[in-house]
Amino acid sequence: MAEFWTGYAWPAIWIGLQVVAIIIPLLLCVAYLVYAERKVIAAIHLRRGPNVVGPYGLLQPIADGMKLFFKETVIPTGANRGVFIIAPVLTFTLALIAWAVIPVGDGLVIADINVGILYLFAISSLGVYGILMAGWASNSKYAFLGGLRSAAQMVSYEVSMGFIIISVLLVVGSLNLSDIVNAQRHIWFVIPLFPMAVIFFVSTLAETNRHPFDLPEAEAELVSGYNVEYSSMAFALFFLGEYANMILMSAMTTILFLGGWLPPFNVAPFTWIPGPIWFAAKIAFCLFIFLWVRATFPRYRYDQLMRLGWKVFLPISLAAVVIVGGVVLAFDIQSLVK
Amino acid sequence: MPDLVPALPEIFLAVMSMALLMAGVFQKEENAGRSVSYLAIATLVVTIAIVGVVADGRASTFGGAFVTDGFAVYVKVLILIATAAAVLMSREYLERHGIFRFEFPVLMVLAALGMLMMVSANDLISLYLGIELQSLSLYVIASFQRDTTRSAEAGLKYFVLGALSSGLLLYGISLVYGFSGSTNFDALAQLFQAGQSPLGVTVGIVFIIAGLAFKVSAVPFHMWTPDVYEGAPTPVTAFFAVAPKIAAMALFVRVMVGAFGDLGDQWQQVIIFISIASMVLGAFAAINQTNIKRLMAYSSIGHMGYALIGLAVAGGAGNAEARADGVSGILIYLAIYMFMNIGAFACILQMRRNGRMVEGIGDLAGLSKSNPAMAVVLATFMFSMAGIPPLAGFFGKLYIFLAAIEAELFALAIIGVLASVVGAFYYLRIVKVMYFDAPEEGFDGPVSMEMKAVLVVTGVVTLFFFVWPLPILAGAGLATAALLPG
Amino acid sequence: MIIQSLAFYLFSIVAVASAVMVISARNPVHSVLFLILAFFNSAGLFVLLGAEFLAMILVVVYVGAVAVLFMFVVMMLDINFTALREGFLQYLPLGGLIGLVLLLELAVILGGWIIAPGAAERAAAPTPAIDSVNNTEALGQLIYTNYIYFFQAAGMVLLVAMIGAIVLTHRSRPGVRKQKISEQVAREDSIEMRDMPSGGGI
Repeated sequence: MAEFWTGYAWPAIWIGLQVVAIIIPLLLCVAYLVYAERKVIAAIHLRRGPNVVGPYGLLQPIADGMKLFFKETVIPTGANRGVFIIAPVLTFTLALIAWAVIPVGDGLVIADINVGILYLFAISSLGVYGILMAGWASNSKYAFLGGLRSAAQMVSYEVSMGFIIISVLLVVGSLNLSDIVNAQRHIWFVIPLFPMAVIFFVSTLAETNRHPFDLPEAEAELVSGYNVEYSSMAFALFFLGEYANMILMSAMTTILFLGGWLPPFNVAPFTWIPGPIWFAAKIAFCLFIFLWVRATFPRYRYDQLMRLGWKVFLPISLAAVVIVGGVVLAFDIQSLVK
Repeated sequence: MPDLVPALPEIFLAVMSMALLMAGVFQKEENAGRSVSYLAIATLVVTIAIVGVVADGRASTFGGAFVTDGFAVYVKVLILIATAAAVLMSREYLERHGIFRFEFPVLMVLAALGMLMMVSANDLISLYLGIELQSLSLYVIASFQRDTTRSAEAGLKYFVLGALSSGLLLYGISLVYGFSGSTNFDALAQLFQAGQSPLGVTVGIVFIIAGLAFKVSAVPFHMWTPDVYEGAPTPVTAFFAVAPKIAAMALFVRVMVGAFGDLGDQWQQVIIFISIASMVLGAFAAINQTNIKRLMAYSSIGHMGYALIGLAVAGGAGNAEARADGVSGILIYLAIYMFMNIGAFACILQMRRNGRMVEGIGDLAGLSKSNPAMAVVLATFMFSMAGIPPLAGFFGKLYIFLAAIEAELFALAIIGVLASVVGAFYYLRIVKVMYFDAPEEGFDGPVSMEMKAVLVVTGVVTLFFFVWPLPILAGAGLATAALLPG
Repeated sequence: MIIQSLAFYLFSIVAVASAVMVISARNPVHSVLFLILAFFNSAGLFVLLGAEFLAMILVVVYVGAVAVLFMFVVMMLDINFTALREGFLQYLPLGGLIGLVLLLELAVILGGWIIAPGAAERAAAPTPAIDSVNNTEALGQLIYTNYIYFFQAAGMVLLVAMIGAIVLTHRSRPGVRKQKISEQVAREDSIEMRDMPSGGGI
């Protein structure tokens, strides 16, 4: 019996607690990211944004959540029920399980696996299924077109994202996320790998179907794209999944290029602030750019989107792999960052 | 760092294929096809030179996965000549049909690369990769005339059946690997030195034979051949009929003799069977054909049957001299087959009436009146294919049958002779149509310079082979010595 | 160890069951989804074997890219697959016979299977010692040295596949006006830049 407790029960409970410790703040962040988005865009538009529910409108996300929660889930008659229901659940789950490998501080990670970055990449490449399944199962042409657009777009931008990740890996010499962050203690990769960081960030915009690449949702032509037939909690799951994905992608950008939990300078006032705070601050910075871009840029046309992905980003990122690989080999960078 | 020198021809060809791709992309579309195709021919010629320069006994590299020896050099030269000739012959046709895109010569070069890799394969994995590289390029060029349904159908049919045969081959390879623990030919040969093998290896060898028989289009894996030959653009058919056959046959010999040579009594009967079946089917099925490309398809099935006699001989245990004669018989046969076929297809490519290709045998009627020179040349190739002395085709068959008799495979030799008598009927029918039937309207002229060159060279080789056979005989002898030392 | 065994049985059962569903599902899109599930569980099995790199690559390449395109195509197809299956019973005897023959062959072969004496030791001692490198590095060291030829040859095969896809499908339409983004961006005559006071208008 003692073996059962020490061998299985306590580790399971411990893991459960860790999971809760990640997911609760994450969901709170998602809720307030929506609020932040409305406030930031309002400020850019010289409006006030939500300010009625609670002080400064702070309870707005909770009100929205409640509303969605108490609505009826409508499943269209022609829909493929099983797939229709699985799709939002899949989207939301994928956005959460990726956090298993994200190190929020030095050693603060649920699973410090060897191939962490590949895991993240794999999970983010699965995100397309939720959308594709939703689009197909809704049995509606708007949803279907939105799903197809989204799939083509995500697959296209994944390619250049993969190459950028490879060029970072070449510098670090490890696929472990903590190693990647630690390799940036001298200098954040955003400086030496600046063009790659920009391409990566733009690709994450496309990967999360955010503006200016939100063609899958393009409300003017596709009403709302793949989630047009969804209501209530199913819709809420898509919504949460999309925003959780934004946070995830910002976390990935932070880890790969902005030095993860490391302070910008390794001197006294900066080192007093604990790592997770730095990490959160950097994620917030990335998220702010997400919102800023949304308020600033008009939507791409579909052929322009594809052109950018295949004819601009892909060649540049391929060249980046070659050049970075050459430099790393010639100057033995890997031993410098170790 | 592995030794790259033995693989220099392949490396050169691979690099050049990419360079040609770039050369094609960064050119005006109108002249890209033509210039890339000349560059491709130059590349192939240079590769022949490299093959000759690098040739120096037996050398293996990449951990024994790649080998080059006299055998490889001989076959590689044949393949490169055949590919260069095919590229040369295709220009006019492709330009006329408005499909002369620069990818065509590039794909030919890549196919040639795959064939060279097949010939140099000394490992079951490199064998498979070579075959795939070759076949994939061939699938694409089979459907190169993509706007005609027949060409698209040919490509698709070839692809589906080719994938099936690759599956068989891989199944066989996995069985052989599973039961012997190695994919390297040298290691396999050493393992089976005693002439004994587990049952799994035997089953694996049968599957490998099935896969390779598909690639040389031997009966009963020949069904794709007539349809693909008929549907593919004619210069592509000319290419299919020659270079891939030579490469696949050489690979067949290398695997069977090189890796499983001492297991001859286990696979010899299989080869004898497919050889007889191919000869008989090639002879009888061709009789009723009215389309000359289909006829050439059955003719090539028959020819592969004759060549396989040599392999059956090489599988006979014991008599080392007969085995060597079998292998050299195949090599001589392949060289002669190459020249005859290229020539015949160069004639077929001239069958153009009012700007359109015609493919019926009846369209040749009265060619002796309208274009006597071409009639003579085509008649030469047909006589040679039928095996009428003193033309080259006769000697090809002669060496093969002699080897069969030496190995005491009398049944095989007799059936071979009978099949070639039947085969002579349809070859001679073409001659009869050309010389004795009521003349039809003549073909469009004039014959372009490069076609004339191809026709003259192949015609001279076919006609005067008996005067100076030494280069081919000596080459085949050296190649055989490399494959069967001692 | 119990957890590993449980995970193994879970992954294998789901993988096999979804593989069965791939061929028996009536709806082709469901087939593809089950195929994806099968891939995913195979990746789980790889993880249990300690081959985490292969597991992730399986997910990234097959699930994340190949199957997406597959699903794309299947979703767009308008084929009545039940009608296609109508001839199924007709071919069942022949197909079954071939399957049976292959099964018998496999049985005969496996009956004669002898495990090589050194096999267990060799499997226990992978080429670079397992504690000195992780399996990503181990794979890299083998692929780029011993198997470089196969690696490069496979690359050439993929190049041909790429060229083939373009040759067979790419059509350049005449008379299309191309958008030249650099020219648009460089255009200055119709654009005027002005500094705006915050909250004011022109």
